[in-house]
Amino acid sequence: MPDAPETALIAAPACRVGDSADSRVEANPSARTPTFRQSRAHRLMDRWANLAFLACSLLVVGLIGGILFFLASRGLAAFLPMAGNTGRTLAFSEVFLSADWAPSSDRFGILPFIAGSLGVTGLALLIAAPTGTLTGVFIAKLAPAWMRDLMRQVMDLLVGIPSVVYGIFGLTVVLPLVSRTWLGEAPASGFAVSAVILAVMIVPTIVSLSTDAFESLPSSLDEGAQALGSSRWQAIWHVLIPAARPRLITAAVLGLGRAIGEAMAVQMVIGNNPQWIALMRESTDRAPFLRALFTPAATLTTELVQELPNTPAGSPWNNVLFAMGLLLYLMTMVLILATRRLGHRKEA
Amino acid sequence: MRVALRPSPTAKIVDRVMRVVLWAIALMFVVVLVLFVGAILKQGWPVLNLGFLTKMPETLDAGGGIKPQIFNSLYLVALSLALSLPVGLGAGVYMAEYAGKGRALNFLRLCIETLAATPSIVLALFGMIVFVQTLGWSFSIRSGALTLALLNIPVITRVTELSLLAVPRELKEASYGLGATKLQTILKVALPYAATGILTGLVLTAGRAFGESAILVFTAGTNASAQFPDFRLTVPGETLSVHLWYVTSDGTLPDAREIAAGTAAVMILVLLSLNMLVRLVDRTIRRRTR
Repeated sequence: MPDAPETALIAAPACRVGDSADSRVEANPSARTPTFRQSRAHRLMDRWANLAFLACSLLVVGLIGGILFFLASRGLAAFLPMAGNTGRTLAFSEVFLSADWAPSSDRFGILPFIAGSLGVTGLALLIAAPTGTLTGVFIAKLAPAWMRDLMRQVMDLLVGIPSVVYGIFGLTVVLPLVSRTWLGEAPASGFAVSAVILAVMIVPTIVSLSTDAFESLPSSLDEGAQALGSSRWQAIWHVLIPAARPRLITAAVLGLGRAIGEAMAVQMVIGNNPQWIALMRESTDRAPFLRALFTPAATLTTELVQELPNTPAGSPWNNVLFAMGLLLYLMTMVLILATRRLGHRKEA
Repeated sequence: MRVALRPSPTAKIVDRVMRVVLWAIALMFVVVLVLFVGAILKQGWPVLNLGFLTKMPETLDAGGGIKPQIFNSLYLVALSLALSLPVGLGAGVYMAEYAGKGRALNFLRLCIETLAATPSIVLALFGMIVFVQTLGWSFSIRSGALTLALLNIPVITRVTELSLLAVPRELKEASYGLGATKLQTILKVALPYAATGILTGLVLTAGRAFGESAILVFTAGTNASAQFPDFRLTVPGETLSVHLWYVTSDGTLPDAREIAAGTAAVMILVLLSLNMLVRLVDRTIRRRTR
């Protein structure tokens, strides 16, 4: 029975090592003559475990493909004559190149939602990217230890707050406040408030990634700049930010990804008006930029939340909504691949 | 770049101004958070009492509670974690210990990153097609738990991988040196060492799943069972976050505002305590290992 002593030998040091960090370097004194052969049972288990861990990983890979397959099967049904379709087959151009959304009269242009998504995320990024990056450099290079600790906690909390709570805050606090103070009681829903709330939601992502970026820069850069007589800010602006640029852009892109997929918070404050382009163009009661910021609008995600539960499966309306989901998924993939590209360029 | 060995007077002024600006931006986020949490708690405080937490919800009248929603939230979080933990752990172990450094690992990491970045509304659509419609499970706890697990998997995988990569190499080498197999080394040396990191990640994942709403609106539905507690997997399971959204957007309840405010306050309190728990655990562990 060679197995028993071997397992005992193997198990004993392992348990002890897990308990305290001090004993980790010392080997077990009783292991003076270690046997480097493992029992057959253990080797067999080892092989099976390898397969099990591999299976878990392959499941993740499969999920990526599975999501694509199922979303495509419903989203592309809008454009192809498939079994289960109840309405007519649509052309690509009348969906992706038309701004006319009136599903009940058989018109399915989704440009308003694409434009809405891009508009609100663009605005959010415009707020979040500079402030987030500067907060990152502040945490990494300027803040005293207590402030660094405080900021880390603040960002942890901001990222942990659920989107519906952001939404209810926007709905019950920010919208009335903005409407009372700036708009003379006119409703405030639209791009501006949604973008501000989105910006707060994505800032933790940008801050934590840009803090990492600045912290991983070699300190010689900073020291060199200061030895040459530059002020702290000059070193940051002329040396550190350019050096960290690829990773800062990656941070912004990931923030963008989070913003474009956010559904509930935006749905609660943006006003959900698919005809926003027409409304923005035709209404004349306010200055143009106020109209652009405070006209109730809609995005890809908000429209899905708003209408998907009410449409029968297989109808063109329902299929187009799934096509919008597919579009969101493809956008995510493109953004992730873009961050990959940026990463590679940095190494080159 | 123009440089003088000492900053010019203008540079000094700019430096001072920018320091103030950076402090101001950082403090602005602190203020935003404090105002935010303060406003939510202040709105919800008058509603929060034992009755609100322990009564069943009303459909048309004022005065309903959120008892089943609290239960459903905890139940769904627990189920989704139980479903995603084995997969996430397994994938994390594979990436840290088995995958080597080649193209396979790169591709795997790309997949994990993509899944992590996939908007929850897209996962919701997937869950709706597969579980709700194709498998015919309709809006139910099981549809919700399975779809919610998709949200957790990439986070758990990442946390597991990072925690395992932080295990000192000498530890594993000592274990191999004593003749342990790879599996034994992982199970008895690496995972126990990484356990605290993984546990912290799990608590954060639980918090995220607790707050998730888009996925559950489309898979677990916007109704709560009339029984309590209802452990069946086939009934709809409206959670706190979905309830908060639904009463606000539906508008049939006369006291929807109060209910939403109270629910939001409960959620914030739960998340604040989860956060405290993580920090407490983190601190005690750091003290113990020092």
